[in-house]
Amino acid sequence: MNENPPENFEDELRRRLRPIDAPAGFNERLMAALPVERKPAAVSSGPRAARPSLRDFGMPAALAASLLVAVFLGVYVANDRAAVREEQMGIAASQQLMQALRVTSQKLDLAYEAVNNPPTAGEEENRS
Amino acid sequence: MPDSLLLQARAGDRDAFAALVRAHQGSVFSIGLRMLSRRDAAEDLAQDVFLQLYRKLDSIESLEHLGFWLRRVAANLAIDWLRRLPYSATQPLDEGAEVAAPEPEHDPLMSRELMRLLGELAPHPRAVMLLRYQEDRDVAEIAAMLDMPVNTVKSHIKRSLTALRGRMIGAKLIDCEELP
Repeated sequence: MNENPPENFEDELRRRLRPIDAPAGFNERLMAALPVERKPAAVSSGPRAARPSLRDFGMPAALAASLLVAVFLGVYVANDRAAVREEQMGIAASQQLMQALRVTSQKLDLAYEAVNNPPTAGEEENRS
Repeated sequence: MPDSLLLQARAGDRDAFAALVRAHQGSVFSIGLRMLSRRDAAEDLAQDVFLQLYRKLDSIESLEHLGFWLRRVAANLAIDWLRRLPYSATQPLDEGAEVAAPEPEHDPLMSRELMRLLGELAPHPRAVMLLRYQEDRDVAEIAAMLDMPVNTVKSHIKRSLTALRGRMIGAKLIDCEELP
């Protein structure tokens, strides 16, 4: 088989493939089918998806906002309660410490007094 | 054809649009007829192409662009229809369908056989051959119209020419003496 067909074969193709006119009445049928007013071209690759409007986002956005507020409020309340509880525990610890200091102080006073004023012999006998 | 015709058509002048249609209907209809091998389908395709043009007139920049646009849309639409609709590549032409250009030394047998052989090509090579030999477009333009690499277009042309010529020799429609 010939790999490089000669140019005259190509010329023959050109001669035999010249455009031919559309059937009679084609132009009239086409003009009758034209829309009255020219509008922008429609996309022929299928129906275009409707553009989402703000209304479409309204409900989900409100739900999401409510959820966020609830979460933040919950976290805030929990933190607040923890702080109060810690404060109460701190006060109690402070009171216990003060009590311990008072007891210690009294003991020390007694010891000091015992050292500075030792009991006399009669008092010792009376004790025994 | 003056560019003013395009501007008038854009402005809504239907007579100007009709003139544009008259100037290009032969090419668009012939692409449809030789791609789809059916006169009714070719007319539907041509009507579809021109209706698309009517809606897209604002995007057409010049008459040269118009010619490019029409051929591109016609060829690609025909390829698309061949994929989706039951037009087989080997479907015989309509009875009495005249798909070759009439001429004084017209050889109806050879023309009919040529069209049959052209119809046996796959849709893309067939479109390439029509744009090359019916529309006399260069390889780069065809590549742009069909969105394919230039080398693919060249390859389609070379293979299709060889196949067509071989089959026509086989059918004794052209002389073997034409071989170099």
